[in-house]
Amino acid sequence: MSEQAASSVRYEEATKRYPGAPSPAVDGLTLEVPAGEICVLVGPSGCGKTTAMRMVNRTVEISEGDVLVGEDSVRDREPAQLRREIGYVIQQIGLFPHRTISENIGAVPQLLGWKKERIRERSAELLELIGLDPELGDRYPAQLSGGQQQRVGVARALAADPLVMLMDEPFGAIDPINRERLQNEFLRLQAEIRKTVLFVTHDIDEAIKMGDRIAVMREGGRVEQYATPAELLMAPANEFVEDFVGADRALKRLALMRVRDIHLWEAPLAHVGQATAEVRAKLERPDVEVPFPLLVDGERRPLGWLSERDLAAGVVPGRPDSPLGPVLELDDVMRDALADLLQHETQYAPVIDHAGRIAGVLSVEIISEFLGSPEAKSDEHPAVERPHG
Amino acid sequence: MGNPFVLAAGEVGGDFFKERSSGTLPCQANESHLFCVDWAKENIDRYGTPAQQHLEIVLLSVLIGFVVAFALALLAHRTRWLQPPLLAATGVLYTIPSIAFFFLLLPLTGFGRDTAVIVLSAYTLQIIYRNTMLGLDNVPDSVKDAARGMGLTNRQILWKVELPLATPEIIAGLRVATASTIAITTLVVLISAGGLGTEMYGSNFNFPTAILIAVAIIALMVLAFDLLLLTAQRLLTPWRKARPR
Repeated sequence: MSEQAASSVRYEEATKRYPGAPSPAVDGLTLEVPAGEICVLVGPSGCGKTTAMRMVNRTVEISEGDVLVGEDSVRDREPAQLRREIGYVIQQIGLFPHRTISENIGAVPQLLGWKKERIRERSAELLELIGLDPELGDRYPAQLSGGQQQRVGVARALAADPLVMLMDEPFGAIDPINRERLQNEFLRLQAEIRKTVLFVTHDIDEAIKMGDRIAVMREGGRVEQYATPAELLMAPANEFVEDFVGADRALKRLALMRVRDIHLWEAPLAHVGQATAEVRAKLERPDVEVPFPLLVDGERRPLGWLSERDLAAGVVPGRPDSPLGPVLELDDVMRDALADLLQHETQYAPVIDHAGRIAGVLSVEIISEFLGSPEAKSDEHPAVERPHG
Repeated sequence: MGNPFVLAAGEVGGDFFKERSSGTLPCQANESHLFCVDWAKENIDRYGTPAQQHLEIVLLSVLIGFVVAFALALLAHRTRWLQPPLLAATGVLYTIPSIAFFFLLLPLTGFGRDTAVIVLSAYTLQIIYRNTMLGLDNVPDSVKDAARGMGLTNRQILWKVELPLATPEIIAGLRVATASTIAITTLVVLISAGGLGTEMYGSNFNFPTAILIAVAIIALMVLAFDLLLLTAQRLLTPWRKARPR
């Protein structure tokens, strides 16, 4: 891919006043978005987040202050020229109904005067990048599903390799299942193309999922907190942010953690053919955390849980009485792991590493202790990587 | 005689009337005969010139009406406050009864085709203007927002996005305007502008064959134009027949 270009975006006391409005829609916004990061502007409706975003490509004219893309003030640029360097994705998608998918994707390159051949190649390349059948290139937007259309919307914004992408509630009109899929796809794409993205949403969960940084805004475009998702959840700057993030912020943190980030329990292990007395001995130790032994094979891969009946025999049987139930992986997102446990109505699940070997046991109890601990709310917890995809 | 229409038609009436009344064919004498095939066969060539005149007047009027209405629509699209006065002005023109309109213009522009074309183009204004505005207004805001955000200039948005998307409504307006102009053009015989009206008002009202032939030609004309414009619309808006699969 040729995608390399990305510029930082810097708001310097940027203000937008609408004639007749009692107070500015955005009042002296100062914010810096580093190149290559997704910055989510989140806040209740009417907080000025969309207005702030639109200042970047001058679809909203700045009244006072400035916005810099890279080192250049957008106020010095001719608006149409500026916009061709900035990707633009909106909730209603806004594909041109009278142009084919390929023509839609090639719209900005065409404005920039690219040669036909190059536009055609670029359209095909982008169709592939967003995972659409190249045959769809000759269709019209009305022939695509909503999810497909929004993918094309993203591809169209990326076509001329923009310095910055503006995305205004891009997945807001998509049904929840497809929204999740599109979010994941976009994160995967972003890991590859590393654009500077300004992403507007009113959905805090989406903000936490998508953002490298999140700016929580309230009326007048005032930034109440500008932080990474983990910081935001661990240490809300004030009551407004705390309320906006929600009472379940500790729970939301689970979406940012992986199973490997938490201290797992150790299961008493049993091997096929081992004397049950040995296994019983392990269970009687005072520090035992899991009350059932886990049967593993020679490679320490879990096979199943042993029940009282299994242990009544002299040696550990080859087929355990209780099924294994869900098996988690160290790289699983904590929230999904918890969902797995709850769905299977089980208290415990073995966790395996990438080779399939037992790494520990995750229990509902571990998670609830984590949620109740000061660690879940304090700064002391080691920073966690945002799960991509 | 004594028919006010024929009197108003002035010199157009005379010859035709005499010729037609002195019927020599058997069915022409029979007044209860609805359609005289023999007469039609013998006289069909007399419709050539009036039909051609009719066609010319229609084409000229619709063309002029379209150019003016389209220009007005583009102006009003850019200058919002012009919309109500323009709609009112074109609407007022439309409400003037056509016969009154013709006679009101006579002192200014005289008998003949010019007056006919002026009146008929004025009638098309309202329909074409209103449909063009409707088409432009129907373009989804999201499409215009995206176009602007992508760096299309206002002119590019108008010509590359809005007008192509307004094509179905614009052509719908042209279809109605053309059909009604073809019909009203039958009246221009009253100001000596020719057309197929000459074959209606100049004929013996007790002899319907001559009128029926003119009516049939007019109906064919309306159908032909409608088909032509519909085909043009299909070709110009291929995305509309592409439905979800």
